Amino acid sequence: MSPRFAGCALLVVAATPAFAQEMLNMPAATAPSPGVAIPRVQARAYLFEDSQWLLEQTLRLEYGIARDLSVSADLPFFQGFFDPPRPSDGEFGLGDLELNLELRVLREDLNAIDTVRASVFAGAELPTGTNGFGGDSVDPFAGAVVTAIVGRHGLDASARYTFVTGDGLFLPIFASDTPDDFANLDLGYAFRMFPEEYGEERVGAWYATLELNTTWTVGGEHEVLLSPGLLLEAPSYALEFGLQVPLSEERVNAPELRLGLLLGLRLIF
Amino acid sequence: MQASTLRACGLATVALTLVALPTGCASTQTAPSDRNASLAAIGDGTLAPGRYDLVVRGMSCPKCISNVDLQLKRIDGVGEPKVDMKNGVVAITVRDGSAPSRAAVATAISDAGFTLTEIREVPR
Repeated sequence: MSPRFAGCALLVVAATPAFAQEMLNMPAATAPSPGVAIPRVQARAYLFEDSQWLLEQTLRLEYGIARDLSVSADLPFFQGFFDPPRPSDGEFGLGDLELNLELRVLREDLNAIDTVRASVFAGAELPTGTNGFGGDSVDPFAGAVVTAIVGRHGLDASARYTFVTGDGLFLPIFASDTPDDFANLDLGYAFRMFPEEYGEERVGAWYATLELNTTWTVGGEHEVLLSPGLLLEAPSYALEFGLQVPLSEERVNAPELRLGLLLGLRLIF
Repeated sequence: MQASTLRACGLATVALTLVALPTGCASTQTAPSDRNASLAAIGDGTLAPGRYDLVVRGMSCPKCISNVDLQLKRIDGVGEPKVDMKNGVVAITVRDGSAPSRAAVATAISDAGFTLTEIREVPR
């Protein structure tokens, strides 16, 4: 990691309150309270074939408009270590800014702990990318997500469809970079390892998470990733560690993904 | 996955979202039925100075404590909340000279993302 990227990451992480009780790599039917703004950051490293690397840091700002309505903006930063002509030698660039409006349509609190929530969301990816890390078009998307927590078990399921109106990335990296529309279908399971039962004390909780993150394009390309992770969640912060292992990839003109790593820190106010 | 299937799923998702968003926006700006039911169960009037246990559903993670803290502290006269996640109870103190409304407490819990089902006065 270059000093520039590391410095940027450290600065942002150190200043970042965020949101918890979410899977590491997919949406959740959670939202900030009305009038509350929540920044969040995630840093990732992807290893591709032939020792090619990609570093990504995504900044998110989420704001509660009303009790069940929130808006969010995601801005990714990339640093590429690919073979030319893709971004190489640590070339730095912005990705596409994503704006999202999320509405919680179901909140069923069953008892002290258990709850079922569902949200729908819609938004667009804007062509803010630089140095080959972004598309050339405004791409609208819509989707839905369900989150259920029963005792020590949590389950998330989400579906999102993105209409790609332009040509995608000149040199695609992921399946979602192609000029074809694509769908993201994700499933996630979280198990609270500690504590077995909550008490009256303010303690952190350790979760083991397992996600299936998939992308399917109408052109026939796809990625299926298995994503195990660990989440430490306390009242005022959360730490997350994750892996992404490709189970199946079918992509054209894109490097083969070998492994993804995720390290995140969230500070919660 | 067939392209036509994918497109159909995408269009269905978008259609549902476009229907749900404006409907939901309108309902959140007025008052959703669950909120009315919650307020009815909590009653109206104000809380006299003293200690109260709020019975709350849906606090499923440590972060919930922060959300509840944040919203309750916005109510004038409500002291430092103490959350018992196991039993779903939030203990609060109403300071002398203050009289927060029951509705404000219910709204704060709902804004935090949870459901208030009862306010119990703790005997001195």
